[in-house]
Amino acid sequence: MKLKESIKIMLVTCSLVALAACSSMHKHDNGSADVADASGGGAQTSGAGEGDNFADTSNLSPEQLLARRTYYFEYDKSEVRDAEKAAIFANADNLVAHPRAKVLLEGHTDPRGSREYNIALGERRAKAVEDLLKSKGVNPSQIRVISYGAERLAVPGHEEGDYQRDRRVVLVYLQH
Amino acid sequence: MRKLSAVLCCIFTIVLSNSAFAILNLELTSGVSGAVPVAIVPFAGQGEAPVNVSDVINTDLQNSGRFKVYGRNDFSDTPSTIQDVKFKTFQELGTDDVVIGSVRSVGGDRYQVSFQMLDVFKGKDNAKGSVTLDQTMTVSGNQLRRLAHHISDLIYQQILGVRGVFSTRLAYIVVHRSDNGATRYILEVADQDGENAHPLLSSTDPIMSPAWSPNGKQIAYVSFEGQRASIYIEEVSSGSRQLVSQYNGINGAPAWSPNGKKLALVLSKDGSPNIYVLDLGSRQLTQMTHDWSINTEPAWSPDGKTIVFTSNRGGGPQIYQLNVANHAINRISYDGDYNARASFTADGSHIAMLHREHGIYNIGLLDLNGGNFRLLTNSGVDNESPSIAPNGSMVLYGTLSSGRSVLGMSSDDGKVQLKLPERNGEVQDPAWSPFLS
Repeated sequence: MKLKESIKIMLVTCSLVALAACSSMHKHDNGSADVADASGGGAQTSGAGEGDNFADTSNLSPEQLLARRTYYFEYDKSEVRDAEKAAIFANADNLVAHPRAKVLLEGHTDPRGSREYNIALGERRAKAVEDLLKSKGVNPSQIRVISYGAERLAVPGHEEGDYQRDRRVVLVYLQH
Repeated sequence: MRKLSAVLCCIFTIVLSNSAFAILNLELTSGVSGAVPVAIVPFAGQGEAPVNVSDVINTDLQNSGRFKVYGRNDFSDTPSTIQDVKFKTFQELGTDDVVIGSVRSVGGDRYQVSFQMLDVFKGKDNAKGSVTLDQTMTVSGNQLRRLAHHISDLIYQQILGVRGVFSTRLAYIVVHRSDNGATRYILEVADQDGENAHPLLSSTDPIMSPAWSPNGKQIAYVSFEGQRASIYIEEVSSGSRQLVSQYNGINGAPAWSPNGKKLALVLSKDGSPNIYVLDLGSRQLTQMTHDWSINTEPAWSPDGKTIVFTSNRGGGPQIYQLNVANHAINRISYDGDYNARASFTADGSHIAMLHREHGIYNIGLLDLNGGNFRLLTNSGVDNESPSIAPNGSMVLYGTLSSGRSVLGMSSDDGKVQLKLPERNGEVQDPAWSPFLS
């Protein structure tokens, strides 16, 4: 009995955390074209609320995927989330189809931690996206990488929702 | 002594007068418990002078957190010569040290400043034997504030036996975010009290990691102008600058060698951030680390023989020490899962660093002899970029206050805490100058 109850409590806690993560993200998502529409996915409660449905792109059209050029990362991580890959691959296909097009990949972190370490972390993130583009056949000469670390925040605030929006790689077309 | 203990308990806040040039406002938020009493008698003849010299000295000593300063409100007579000092008046206040002085206009915007410090327990009234400092200097009106800081340095050294840092300067980055989303970054230098601020570079692209040359005449920094990271060295007095590094990828974290002839820096031109040393004379570049982890934030030991840096080679970021001669590397931080941005005290005995604990980034001081680790901040907000005063008495850093980025200072025992908010924006990434004279 006791065990069952504590499992119940754990489950409720988990989904509450996940819900909290969702709602804080929705709040910040309004009105930004680059940010993923998180409404489609419903509640995927895996783990303790990493907010992994933040970038659910499963319902996006090819045009919408191509237009999605900001990819979000987890705290202190430089691995691209699976949910971001469809949009990155859509842009890879576009670059392969337009070999004269060039992109700049800007790596960013949230403001916490050491500035120069964040520059290195931001570069790791941008290079992780670069590797995905190259894996789809994009010519390396079409890609340039820069890390701004925590020096160009998406949002100047200091809430976790703000930090989530700061941890990103932005793909910018320099020429089409 | 009773007055002294009253001071121990209270937290006092002093805001400097806002001069036309002041951008940072220095506020003392917590004083040290062993504050030494000192009386600063208002100097005679200051009516004509553009700066009230004794007020500046009073504020300097007060803001150091190490003194209980008695000023104009604490005694009725204001002697300006030894003959006029009634020792008993000050003995009753409980202060050994009394500073008196005068400012005299000598024409042509020149001012003669005389001051003496007396130990009123050392002799009787008028006794020459009680004089511990006695100097007369003549300067122009715009040098009066600097002279006042110099006098504060002399008083600090005479009483505490350590050179004061009131004549040093700070470099830092001001960030202005306008309502339309545009951001402006300004590299600025100001006096240690936040006065006399001057911009060195203003840009719509980020500026970061200012580093003073050992002689205090130049500042190396990273600028992102033209959508790429570059390292420049700028002359503080003239504002002229030279480009020193612009490879593909990261050009970051410049750090001067103690003799000022070399610059350690971080480059990722070969794919991963590694530490390099650039000889500023020959322009020869030497790679110091050779691996695929993050290696960044180099800082030289005072003897120039080792470089500490941040690396995630063991998982999370930790501090490692590199032997400059043979490139051998050993780890020196073990406390906690995030230690970064290390720098040495001038005597090489301690390292200041950014240290994460319970999800908060604090400033800590590691004793290299014995490994004792001490937190200097614990206000529950994130801090960044520790920079140690040249006399080792204080650490300067970026911190948060009411959600805004401001500068903070803590004494090496964490007891004295000061804040320097920027009035019109946010301020971050500070660097304390070396001694400038």
